[in-house]
Amino acid sequence: MKSSSTMYLVALALTIGLASSMSPARISAQMQENRIVIDGSTTVGPIAKAFAEYYMRQNPGVNITVSESGSGNGAKSLMNSACDIAAMSRFMKETEFAAATEAGLMPVAHVVALDGLAIVLHPSNPVRGLTIDQVKRIYKGEITSWSEVGGPDRSITIVSRDTNSGTYETFQGLVMNKEEITQSAEYVGSNGAIRQRIQSTQNAIGYVGLGFVDRTVKPIPVNGVEANSETIISGAYPIARPLYLFTNGYPKLGSHLHRFITLYLTERGQEIVASIGFVPVTAYR
Amino acid sequence: MPTSSRVRCRAIDVRQPVYDMIAAFEAELDTMSFSDRMRYRSSVSELEDHIRFLLGPAPGAHIPVLIRDQYGQTRWDQAQDATQRVLMIESWDYSDPTQMGVLVHTPRVEEFRGTSIEPLFAYIENNATVMLWPRLTFYWRFLFDNPIDSHFFGGIWPELLGTFYLALGAMLFAVPMGIIAAIYLTEYSRQGMIVSIIRTCINTLAGVPSIVFGLFGLAFFINTMHISPAKSVLAGSLTLGLLVLPVIIRASEEAILAVPRTYKEASLSLGSSRWWTVVTVVLPAALPGILTGIVISMGRAAGETAPIIFTAAVSVGLPLKFWQVFSQPTPALPWNIYNLATEHEAVDLIRHVQYGMVLALVGLVLTLNLAAVILRARVAKKLKG
Repeated sequence: MKSSSTMYLVALALTIGLASSMSPARISAQMQENRIVIDGSTTVGPIAKAFAEYYMRQNPGVNITVSESGSGNGAKSLMNSACDIAAMSRFMKETEFAAATEAGLMPVAHVVALDGLAIVLHPSNPVRGLTIDQVKRIYKGEITSWSEVGGPDRSITIVSRDTNSGTYETFQGLVMNKEEITQSAEYVGSNGAIRQRIQSTQNAIGYVGLGFVDRTVKPIPVNGVEANSETIISGAYPIARPLYLFTNGYPKLGSHLHRFITLYLTERGQEIVASIGFVPVTAYR
Repeated sequence: MPTSSRVRCRAIDVRQPVYDMIAAFEAELDTMSFSDRMRYRSSVSELEDHIRFLLGPAPGAHIPVLIRDQYGQTRWDQAQDATQRVLMIESWDYSDPTQMGVLVHTPRVEEFRGTSIEPLFAYIENNATVMLWPRLTFYWRFLFDNPIDSHFFGGIWPELLGTFYLALGAMLFAVPMGIIAAIYLTEYSRQGMIVSIIRTCINTLAGVPSIVFGLFGLAFFINTMHISPAKSVLAGSLTLGLLVLPVIIRASEEAILAVPRTYKEASLSLGSSRWWTVVTVVLPAALPGILTGIVISMGRAAGETAPIIFTAAVSVGLPLKFWQVFSQPTPALPWNIYNLATEHEAVDLIRHVQYGMVLALVGLVLTLNLAAVILRARVAKKLKG
């Protein structure tokens, strides 16, 4: 008697567990059409969110969800087929590409905007510009006081993005030349968090995507070049990069995914990119 | 409301001269000498930017695509800030290279002394209140409206609903499991080695950091079991359910153990089976205690951020229909509060939405708790009487 009751309870628990796990797969197959899941970079986030909002306004009934968890997570989600679009602020790494093809996926890159990494300081900081070599030496920990680059005698607080970030990878590649960032650097999880750290810390230096620069921080010229759409398109600004949306294969023509992913080519799409503060891929001029 | 519409008309009428004065000055700019034109061009475009930020684009001008750029300032605190920025230039004085710079405000009108646009500044200063027409409103639909343009406008309905689904789902999963486990541990198992190991495991589970549950949920429910194609409310609920399971088990166990032995003995002596005794005598008597456990865990499930980051939460998404919870992710209050406080591209401009969300979350948890306290009191009263 006793053991049979126990068995009954176990069976009941298992049934509840199984029932809740079986049904969704069937339901989701029909829903797939009208939903787009976007995961990835916090830098591309504002573009993805604005595009999603715009597209959902034009096409009621389509649900587009956007999560901002970093470029690395976006790539992983795409590999696990857990998202339709991976937003990335860097290109896929070789290992990620290999893992994706092994999983039977073929990542296709869509460049939706261009971006420059602005080197930002607190507005009270009198430093008027840095060379890329100075920035590198600051992040390597060789320059520790603002007085060494023409500022007051104050130690430098170094703020960097976390290693999951595409912005970090870009910075590593274009500024650090793969050399290590100093141990004393602070790592934060998003562009917004860097900006907040800078606006509350007079001695700080950080780097953010152009769309995150506002009047509370001071972007400075690098190698004497200011970051703006002209210098980024022409390549004069040294720390610039494209922003990507990755899909698995080119989406089926005419599908919501296809129409969404080509939104950046329309005039409205370009205006969205520009008004958020990034640089549209094609400049009408 | 004739008065208010008259005030609104007046607000628009009073704005018009601002746009007119700028347009006139721009026309005048073309007739100036080259050096003057160069001198004023950048200051005028800066002034225009600030005025567009304060009052919105001029009537008849191109309507910006982002809704946040279409209206100018809509909140009095921010409008006052923006007015200050039209009237004053903020610059930093770096004259002492050994010190950090000092913020200096200079009246913007200085840049335009002796030009036809000079009266504009006095006009804005004197008419700001009429132009912006501040009045107190209570936006109660904040709770039930969808957000517009990444939370610049609109409400928090998807987040609220998502939080509700997640907490409810977690309870649907954790409550039956937790109570069954507690019954097994207290009534059916023989107290010994195995049970004490199980108890230790449950206690350990209660101490595991919530982010670990989040990663486990991602690895197990989504990547291994594929219960949904992507993040979904279901996956998040199951993860939250695991998180609160130990609390519910422990609370239910305590409640069951607190039921006097005599109740059980009386029931058994009347020939009732053990299962029947548990269902009809022990559980009802333990119900108030079990409810307490459920309430505590419900509040916890509603407020947890880490377990849902990887399993259920997104920063933008529509409110879900209830059948969509099996396959789709949702915005949820705790995650979106974090998102708005750190990641959003315009954190400083939408603080009020963030505060609103925090208030809503605290209110939600408070309401849940209050409802449960009342429910428990009723149950306890009914059992006594």
